[in-house]
Amino acid sequence: MSQDATEIRARVKQIIANVAGLDPARIGDEAKLRDELKLDSLSLLEIGVDVDLAFKLELPDEQYKEIDSIPDMVALVQSRLADTQPQAQHQAV
Amino acid sequence: MRRSVVVTGAGVLSPLADSPAGLHAALCAGESGFKEIELFPLDGLSGNGSGPRRAGEIRPFEPRDYLGERNLRPIDRTSRLLLAAAQRALDESGWTPELRAEREVGLMLGTVFCSVKTIAEFDRRGLQLGPSHVSPLDFANSVINAAAGQAAIWHGLRGVNSTISAGEASGLLAIAGGTSQIRGGHADALLAGGAEELCFESFLGHLRAGRLCGPDDPLPFDARRGGFALAEGAALLLLEEAAEAAARGARVFAEVLGHGSAFDPLETAEGAAQAVARAVRIALDDAGITSGDLDAVSVSASGSVAVDRAEAAGLAAALGTSGAGVPVTAIKSMLGEALGASGGFQAVAMLGTLGDGFLPGIRGLERTEEDFPLTGAGAGTRRVAVRRALLTALSADGHACAVVLGAPQ
Amino acid sequence: MEPRIAVTGLGLVTPIGVGREDVWNGLLAGRSGFAPVESFDTHRFNVHLGAEVRGFEPAPYVRRLDPARLGRASQLAIAAARLALEDAGIDSGAVAPERAGVAMGTTSGEPREVERLDDRIQAGEVDRVGPEFLSLYPCHMIAAHVARELGFAGVNTMIPTACAAGNYALAHALDMLRAGRADLMLAGGADAFSRITYTGFARLGAIAPERCQPFDRNRKGMIPGEGAAVLVLEPLERALDRGARIYAELAGYGLSCDAHHMTAAHPEADGAARAMERALADVGAAPSEVSYVSAHGTGTPTNDRLEILAVKRVFGEAAPGIPMSSIKSMIGHTMGAASAIEAAVCALAVAEDRIPPTMNMDDPEEGLDFVPNVARELPVRMAMNNAYAFGGNNASVILRKVGL
Repeated sequence: MSQDATEIRARVKQIIANVAGLDPARIGDEAKLRDELKLDSLSLLEIGVDVDLAFKLELPDEQYKEIDSIPDMVALVQSRLADTQPQAQHQAV
Repeated sequence: MRRSVVVTGAGVLSPLADSPAGLHAALCAGESGFKEIELFPLDGLSGNGSGPRRAGEIRPFEPRDYLGERNLRPIDRTSRLLLAAAQRALDESGWTPELRAEREVGLMLGTVFCSVKTIAEFDRRGLQLGPSHVSPLDFANSVINAAAGQAAIWHGLRGVNSTISAGEASGLLAIAGGTSQIRGGHADALLAGGAEELCFESFLGHLRAGRLCGPDDPLPFDARRGGFALAEGAALLLLEEAAEAAARGARVFAEVLGHGSAFDPLETAEGAAQAVARAVRIALDDAGITSGDLDAVSVSASGSVAVDRAEAAGLAAALGTSGAGVPVTAIKSMLGEALGASGGFQAVAMLGTLGDGFLPGIRGLERTEEDFPLTGAGAGTRRVAVRRALLTALSADGHACAVVLGAPQ
Repeated sequence: MEPRIAVTGLGLVTPIGVGREDVWNGLLAGRSGFAPVESFDTHRFNVHLGAEVRGFEPAPYVRRLDPARLGRASQLAIAAARLALEDAGIDSGAVAPERAGVAMGTTSGEPREVERLDDRIQAGEVDRVGPEFLSLYPCHMIAAHVARELGFAGVNTMIPTACAAGNYALAHALDMLRAGRADLMLAGGADAFSRITYTGFARLGAIAPERCQPFDRNRKGMIPGEGAAVLVLEPLERALDRGARIYAELAGYGLSCDAHHMTAAHPEADGAARAMERALADVGAAPSEVSYVSAHGTGTPTNDRLEILAVKRVFGEAAPGIPMSSIKSMIGHTMGAASAIEAAVCALAVAEDRIPPTMNMDDPEEGLDFVPNVARELPVRMAMNNAYAFGGNNASVILRKVGL
């Protein structure tokens, strides 16, 4: 895994933890947002807004609506950053 | 036969205490609930050197102490105060989660702003970051009935649920409204009272309107008074239809005997006094008693030069000769002006007096002005056997409300 | 015996017109109140439509107070109150002030005042905030201003239960009159268009991009609006004694709380159904006796779906035979004013045996009669008005022909 992905996952978990009122250390790396973390639609919308702000992604809502797990959110952030900041992308090992 | 309304529990979060017993003890001991404001910075407010810096801030306030481990992120401060007070009232009255799942408990909430802080922060974030990056959770809390809605969700309150705004009279009007709902057969049990948080926007508004006293503590009814100090909190009575309460073996702390309200459209001192007098007369009439039957009065006087006097004049007029001299207290001398929560504080505090016969004094009162219309205001805590108590509220905008409480039968 | 309460005057300030006659004619004709938002810049939004009250001049209505010292919602409310009293043939000066009260509902109160405050805070100009914030902003000022304008000294209450507030205010007024605490009540609701409200609903994805289509299969959302409505309520005996024109009896109400979610209704429409059942119980009527339902019908996929579910639960087999329309298809969602405007529409429906359509219907949902696109004449003995709000506040009120 590249450094970026770990960092991204940590920040995403922190955002989700804030909204869910949980300790980020208690959120599994593969956690499902609806089923496991019991996040409702309003909270998911909040997370989408916070992630979009944190990483300056400027993505439309529809993209966030598809996301139902931490890995999916991390992948979305990574791919968007890669699209918008190609120079910053690390080469995967 | 009119349905009777009794009080089977109470809950309070206040600058002095987080229980009805604690509040009563602190008030009777003449304690001050005022402290240096820490919730928000005061710099940038001109005239601050000689201006107000103190308020009835609730500090520390740890919501988890009352609400357990569920997610509090979607709940703002106003709602947290309300949820905590509601938890306490439900616990004391024996309305367990199981009972609430079977039978409905409602909520009538008085509040002036609910959370103007949440509303304003939602708006400012939109200004700073654009409309797509505002907080959805904050939007849900930007309606004035948000706290009542959050409390219903948190505590499973499926009965009638309403929010009432009438300035400083909101809390008593919510208790009056809750009484009406039960009498009218729309509810058998509900929480009634008020909630309000201390925040920058409210403080700024009151400061600019010239309503706040300076750096010293407020002096209700005193000739030196020069405004009030803001405060925050939540206070609720559990109101219940009497026969239902008896059937489940609930302890009864008081009965709501009557209520009345009126408004002053003239924006004059006389108009405000007349509104208070009318509200009191309607309440006494509704309770089936005369002013001579009253044993104690708790007024909403906060230290405001004009509003205190208008309330006193209206009360005196309604008391007449047969009620003149009845002991009067003004607990905002110790709690401050908590806007929507104040009426709830008055009611919860009076339960203590009904219970042990001690009426708190008006802290700081040395003397009223010469032609002050009301006698009976006392500076020190007094022993008063109370069977019938009157609560009054007069808002700065002319709303008057009166509630008569009776000792349990 | 509790007195029966009559509706004797209607005052309406809406995105499609001002005054009972203009608005009612507009609703029956399917007039639309939607247009690009004018009161603030929407270029940073991906939606742009609103239902504003354009060209509103407070001066003809605000005669005793100074309109410059009132928030917009208060101006709209005073206008509706004056229109209502005029419609009822009542001179405010001839009323016993202590027995005349005001109960109003709102969602946001005077949001433009907090927006002004925020503009100043953002600009680092806190010093420029004056005493006006406290005299304009608190939502209770709306009811207070109405009473000050008219000299009413009886009960005065603001009930800010969001999108159901109008019905809540009517319920409260009914209680006051039934209990003999007033001889005359002005009850209704008011809300002003605001960027706060628009931003919030846009952020939730709730605003339709082009058309407001309640109960249509392709509906895409609601369109925020503003407005005010006031109903004059008095004991039926008094109304008859003074030879008043009586639109309908305000026969009863039912309130409930979902206790489920702040912005989404209960998934089985539990609260909505209970409010309707309670209203029917308050009136002592069976569901099949309802001739017309004025729906909350915002046009969002979820509200309308759950509302249909609730109606089917309560009315059962009778449901398909009871027409239900949403005037939000024409005037948008006027927030705290909405259910007050809709109650006025129910009063008119009962008085004239005519019901407004649900406009913009291309493909109605199945199973119920939504009065698609064309107003209808039919006997309306009893009309039910439903409203649902954030926080799970639900309210149903029932109006019926006098003499039933």
